[in-house]
Amino acid sequence: MNPLSLFFKKQYAIEEKIQRLLRYLEDMAQLYQAAYESYLDGSFEDLVQGNEELGKIEKELDDLGRQIQMSLLHESLMPDSRDDLLWFLTKLDKVPSSFKHSLADIVLEKPEIPEDFQLSLKNMLVHTHDAVKALANATDALFSDLRAVRQHVEEVGRQESMVDKIEYKLLQSVFENEKFELARKYQLKGILKQLGAVTNLAEDVADAVLILATKHST
Amino acid sequence: MLDPTVLIFLSSGLFLGWSLGANDAANVFGTAVGSRMIRFTTAAIICGIFVILGAYVSGTGAAQTLGKLGAVNAIGGSFMAALAAGLSVYWMTKLGLPVSTSQAIIGSIIGWNLFSDSYTDISSLLKILSTWIICPLLSAVIAAFLFSVAKIFVRKMGIGLIRFDGYTRLALILAGAFGAYSLGANNIANVMGVFVPVAPFPDMLFGQGFSISSAQQLFLVGGLAIAVGVFTYSKRVMMTVGSELMRLTPLAAWVAVMSHSIVLFLFASERLEQLLAKMSLPTIPLVPVSSSQAVVGAVIGIGMLQGGREIQWPRVYSIVKGWVITPLVSCLLCFVGLYFLQNVFQQTVQRDSNYTLSASVIEKLQKEGIETEGLHELTGTVFQTSAEVVRAVKDKVSLSSKQGLKVVEYSLQKSLIVTAEKIADLETNGLSSAQLDALSKLAGQTYNYPWQLGDALAEISQEWIMLGGGLKDKLHDRDIKQKLAYLYRKFQRRER
Repeated sequence: MNPLSLFFKKQYAIEEKIQRLLRYLEDMAQLYQAAYESYLDGSFEDLVQGNEELGKIEKELDDLGRQIQMSLLHESLMPDSRDDLLWFLTKLDKVPSSFKHSLADIVLEKPEIPEDFQLSLKNMLVHTHDAVKALANATDALFSDLRAVRQHVEEVGRQESMVDKIEYKLLQSVFENEKFELARKYQLKGILKQLGAVTNLAEDVADAVLILATKHST
Repeated sequence: MLDPTVLIFLSSGLFLGWSLGANDAANVFGTAVGSRMIRFTTAAIICGIFVILGAYVSGTGAAQTLGKLGAVNAIGGSFMAALAAGLSVYWMTKLGLPVSTSQAIIGSIIGWNLFSDSYTDISSLLKILSTWIICPLLSAVIAAFLFSVAKIFVRKMGIGLIRFDGYTRLALILAGAFGAYSLGANNIANVMGVFVPVAPFPDMLFGQGFSISSAQQLFLVGGLAIAVGVFTYSKRVMMTVGSELMRLTPLAAWVAVMSHSIVLFLFASERLEQLLAKMSLPTIPLVPVSSSQAVVGAVIGIGMLQGGREIQWPRVYSIVKGWVITPLVSCLLCFVGLYFLQNVFQQTVQRDSNYTLSASVIEKLQKEGIETEGLHELTGTVFQTSAEVVRAVKDKVSLSSKQGLKVVEYSLQKSLIVTAEKIADLETNGLSSAQLDALSKLAGQTYNYPWQLGDALAEISQEWIMLGGGLKDKLHDRDIKQKLAYLYRKFQRRER
């Protein structure tokens, strides 16, 4: 048993909750990718089921997030650290919401995805998953080893830039295609933007992680 | 039974202790409590306990230097010195100037010296004044160094945010405890130092080998007064210091408290002095220094390290102004207060003393390397004050400040009588058997000057000889001096 755990029980408990929260986040990224891919492969039922599971995990994640916020408010962290953490958790909370909104829109709209978009979209999903995983690693490093934060944040940036490139190419294809009606063009644009928004958000949160790491190591 | 008037006179010291606790605890825990890193109750409990411990265990070192500057020899004088210091601190605080009890009490002692025409040892005064410059500078240097090292350490370790928060909190509590101990050890001299020469409590003996001297009892009472100040009034000051004056990061706050504590400890620790002396390194004077100065110095040190742009120099200027004005105000208040206490309230503010230059005194001075040609003309003259005797000697021969102190010490008449009964009382007071044997051989002897007893003991036993050779001997000599001072008190013949 770590003798320090006697002195820092509260801190260790909050750390443990944040670890759980990050695991949920990774699970959501995995589930999001799988559900989206199922839809691209033509299985709407799997998408619906994936969306429901995502909703359940998001609820658990929300509960856990609230628990962490209460711990931070009641278990006397220093004001500076507490405010920083609350600010960060509010930012992080937007990532699972973006997964949910993205899938919910597909369930609702059932967009017809052009055949030649499928591979690129699947690539976008892989990079999105990797970006969120890197974000979870960066956040984990914020609470375990500040030295490793930058490397993970840079990885998030790399993945986001890949997603951006693919997204731009797909949008170009959408608007250059004369066969698509304007309504379909805007529907596809919305779907692509929703997907791209997940990594944009991941990059924003990763920047916040880097700011906190820099602030607390100087 | 303790005379109730003694308690009235002690009240000014307790007031000074209370105000020190109310104000200076903020230097130790202000940043942490003001920015809500630590709860006030936690801070107050730790601060109270460690201030008392520091005052009781390590308070004597700095008090001795204060005693050299001027030994206020009547409790009325001590009362006014402490009251003048307390009032100046209060008054200056009202004017919005940050003040220091250390400077206030030095001003008071000088005020008493001037009023009573007592000799002021310029070298001791300069030693104390120099620490007013050295203390903030040293604190700034230590803070800058500590901050650089701490930053590198934190960066290299890469400790996670929440864990770092916990470690910082613990570090702040430990640094605060150290700071409170150092504050008690160093600043108790400000609170109770002036009462030491007139200590109203008898020494307490508890069985074999354990005793509490009258000075320690005074320091304990003073420590309690400081602790009461911490509990009753420091919260507001802590909130002000923490939230308005020193907006620091937790790491910088820890560095500021540590640097302040190290500086106070350096100027109070007899153990450290012993260690340095044993290693033949120059020792640090044991002087009461200002904890406010130490904290201000530390914050400036951290600020300078970051380019100095964030330091509010007009604020620094006003703080320095306070350091200059406080001792002057305190000196004036004490002088005027003593006049009223003596002439309006008919209280004794100085004890009558006689200083004479007998043949034996002149011989003693000669042995100490003081030029004595022409001093024989002063034989038989009785001087009423220490300054008077030094002036008379200076008219005849050249005298350094330290030699002036010797003249005062050797010419002071105090009749001593060594009796077997009194020797029996001393058995458990830390004297070695050889020292006690030597003392027993002097039973029945009387002396006109206290130093004569010391010389007689040194002739009989080597364990009473002061070496006077250098740093290593300093501690040995101080131990003998303390024991002799105890004997002088014990064997003093009561006036009829």
